[in-house]
Formats: sequence, C-alpha cells, structure tokens
Amino acid sequence: MKWAVALALSVLTLAAQTPAPPAATVNSIGMAFVRIEPGTMQVGVFHPDCENGGGGRGAPRDPRMVWVEADRAACEAQTRADRRDGFPVTIRKAYLIGKTEVTQGQWKAVMRTNPSLFQADRVTNPDNHPVESVSWQDAQAFVKALNAKEKTRTYRLPTEFEWEYACRAGGPGQQTWTEIRAQAVLGLGLGLAGRGAGGRGSVPAAPSSEPLPPETLMQYTARTGRTNEVGSKPPNAWGVHDMLGNVWEWVADPYNGKIFPDPTPPKSGSVHVLKGGGFASDVKNAICATHAFGPGDPFAVGFRIVKDLP
Amino acid sequence: MRSYGVLLALFLSAGSARADIPDGFTRIFDGKTTKGWHFSGTAHHGTTAIARVTKDGVLQLLQHPFGQGGLFLTDKTYKNFELYLEVKIPFATNSGIFLRSSEGGSAYQIELVQGGATGALIGELLRLSQGIPAPDLTNIWKIDEFNSIQVRMAGDAPHITIWINGVKAGEVQEPRNDQIGGFVGGRIGLQLHWHTTYEPRSVSGGGMSNAMKPGHPLEFRNIAIKELP
Repeated sequence: MKWAVALALSVLTLAAQTPAPPAATVNSIGMAFVRIEPGTMQVGVFHPDCENGGGGRGAPRDPRMVWVEADRAACEAQTRADRRDGFPVTIRKAYLIGKTEVTQGQWKAVMRTNPSLFQADRVTNPDNHPVESVSWQDAQAFVKALNAKEKTRTYRLPTEFEWEYACRAGGPGQQTWTEIRAQAVLGLGLGLAGRGAGGRGSVPAAPSSEPLPPETLMQYTARTGRTNEVGSKPPNAWGVHDMLGNVWEWVADPYNGKIFPDPTPPKSGSVHVLKGGGFASDVKNAICATHAFGPGDPFAVGFRIVKDLP
Repeated sequence: MRSYGVLLALFLSAGSARADIPDGFTRIFDGKTTKGWHFSGTAHHGTTAIARVTKDGVLQLLQHPFGQGGLFLTDKTYKNFELYLEVKIPFATNSGIFLRSSEGGSAYQIELVQGGATGALIGELLRLSQGIPAPDLTNIWKIDEFNSIQVRMAGDAPHITIWINGVKAGEVQEPRNDQIGGFVGGRIGLQLHWHTTYEPRSVSGGGMSNAMKPGHPLEFRNIAIKELP
C-alpha cells in the first residue's frame, strides 16, 4: 500500500515535470505543425581540434603520410586562429513549424502541379514524399498560394535561426554521428548505405560475367537513391521529423558567403541558404548548423514552412 | 643569332606548362582565373574553401576554415569525354577527380591519395556498380611532382579508362548507369577532402586527420577536355 502511494506520487511528480506534448495543429491541407517555444541558442560554434592528428581513418600506407611535429604545430596554430565561439540568438516568440517537409500531396493540393522527380513511376506513395525540384522562388509561391487559400498571412518560410533552433531542439549545432544516424534520412552517406553495397568510398567486388537483368524505373531508383516518405525516422526531441537528410530545405535568408550566418542576415541577395542536408548528403554535413547555399541538386531540395501564432 | 634561338627555345620550354595538353583537347582552366568553375554550395566536404591561381598557371585548392574542404566544379556539364589534367598532391592529403558529378557531389570518382589508393575508381555518394581497384603505381607515380591523369568516359552505362603518366592504369565497362535520378552526365569536379567536423569532441571517430595535413594545397594545371559524340 505504501509502495502504491509512493508510485502514484512519483508518477504525478513526473507528469508535472514533463511538459505536455503540444496539441496537434493541422491545417486545411493536412499539414501538421509543432509549436516551438521561445529560447536561446549559441550559433556558429566552430571548435576544430588536432586530437587525431596523423591517425584518422585507416593506417597510413606510407610513413610520409604521418604527421610530423611541424604538422602538429601548424595544426595547433591554425585551429587556434580559426576557432569561433559563435554568438547567442534569442527566439523571442513561439511559432509553429511543419512537423515534416512539405509533401508532394500538400504541394499538389495548393499548386495543382508537381515539379518533383520522384513521382509515381519511381517511388510508391509519392504523395507522402517531400516535394523537390523547387527553387526558393517556387517555395515562396507555395507560401503565397497557401496564404491565399486559407485567407491568412501567417504562413512563411522559416528564418534560418527559426529553422536551426527547431532542428537543434535544445542541443548543439553539431549533432553526434549516433544522433544523426538515428534521425537523419540519408541514403548514400558513410556507414548508412552499407559500404559493401557500393556506398561511399568502396570498390565493389569483381562483376559476374552474366548480363544483368533489365530494370524498371522503380528498381533503378531504389538502387541508385531517392527521397523517403516524410516521417520515416524518429523525430528530434521536440517532435519534428526530417530536419536532417531527405531533402535540403530552403529558408528565407539570403546567403552571406560564409561558413556560418551573421547575427543579422543579409537583407537581400539572389542566393539563398539551404539547411539540413538531403538524402545524398553525409554525416559530415547533415547537421543543424550546416549553412549551405543553393542551388544544390534539385532532386534533393525542398522546404518546410512556419505559421505565425497570433 | 643561332644561340639566341636556342635561348628562346629554352625559355619557351621552361614555361611549357601551358602547351602540355594532348592534341584535340580544349582547356577548361585558363591558367589565370577560376572562370568556368565554382564551389558546390552543398558538398559535405565544405562550401567555403579557397581556390587561387599562381603566376605559374597552377590552380591551388586550400581548406578554409580549418578542416573544411570543398568540391570545385565546372560550370558546364559533360556526358561523353576525355579529360586530361596534371595534379600535384602532398602526402597526407585526400583528393579526387569527380566525373559526371551532380552539383551536390554525387559522382564517379578517381581517388587521388599520394601513397594511398590513387587511381582507384570509387563512388562518392553514388552506389557504384563496378569499381577499379587501386593500381600499382610503383615506377609510374612521381612523388611530390606533377603527374598526369587522363580518363575517357563514354556511354550511358559508362566505359571508363584511366591513364596515369601515359600508362593505362585501369579500365571498366560499367554494367549500368549508377547516377541518381537516371541522369547521364554531369560536372567535372576536383575534390578537396574535409578533415574535421565543427566540434570533433562531440563526434566519435569524427576526424579524418590523415586526410589533410594543415596548410598543404592541392595543385592542378593543364586541365583540358575533349568532348566525344
């Protein structure tokens, strides 16, 4: 009896400490949103080190590949010079962000077209795959059309900081490879495609002399790489899917020409920032901090949207 | 008068880097500027590396900032072609020639690692049907000097032949096209491999330190192409 009371009390305590999951918000085209609360993050942290100098992947085949003292000293000097502690960014107002990337089905419901490469001849259930082969201007056209359809002005592309804040879900800009493998939709990167299957860096075994059977476009696509249905991997800590991998995502900001954003983004520019990596990216760059830029590979470029709260 | 002629010939041959491309090829690097080339904005090696041209007509690629490489791509795309270039790579660097590369860096790759698997055909972010193992380059590769690479690539399921310093180093008939999306053709790319993640202590095995000794540029010159039907 005493145990039962203690258990009940601890369950109640736990319930009080765990914030309730946000109420599901779904719009007129079935697009689900997650509510992101205000907070602060440190952006642009760059802390390279020389810890593995001369080690790295595989044993050097030639002794001249091994770092000598001069290499180590050069490394120490350069990592000190290039080290960046970043800057704080405060998100002052809660907002809703797409729980997944905008899908082909959602795009069609608004635009009546579908620019994507990976359609029904190449993948099953394409309506649930992210829309891709969209320019930044196309993404803005979608936002405009959705606002018109719902007679609102609350939909827009996320700013880079809103995107990165939702991606990090309270964590750092650089995810660990364990976290990336758990969450990211990567099809061809290191350790994710299976090196023996001809993934990155592999030399496949000698071929059989038998002629290969013909392939359908669906089989070709499965063999060579494609987007996945949205939500195919577990979400991040705040319940958002596909931030890493699947398709690169346009954000509102023009690109500043640097490895990290500036505290104040450029006001204008014809090149825009891409975030998160696509299915043909790697654990190296499928991280929340990656500050890439267009055009990228059209077949691996899409977007998600935010909705302003009243 | 005759001695002046000899001197002139010597002078011209000393600067002969500009003349050394095979007959019928067209330069795609002008030896003065990086016109016609750009860095990929989405390559995982990095997007902010440095490309510069020396007064001797050599293209140098350097990581920037530390450990962040890049993928230097032709603006133009090529399908069937012969490519010629000369490359000088220090020990403990990792480079590669990308063939039929996508903008993001999914490509057929000829590996370039002095003392490593130079000349191997591998897939980079591309599931290669049939690779070429690294050839034995003993007595062929010149350590710390410029070495020539020539490659012929033709066919939807490409036939690829590689020559290093004029010696045939590998050949393969791919059984299929392996490019994402079924495209055939793409950019020529020069890989400057990444070396470290942004916060390596948070990433187990997050460094590829013997991929790049700090401060050592990759050097390329006489990059030329002959397009095939």
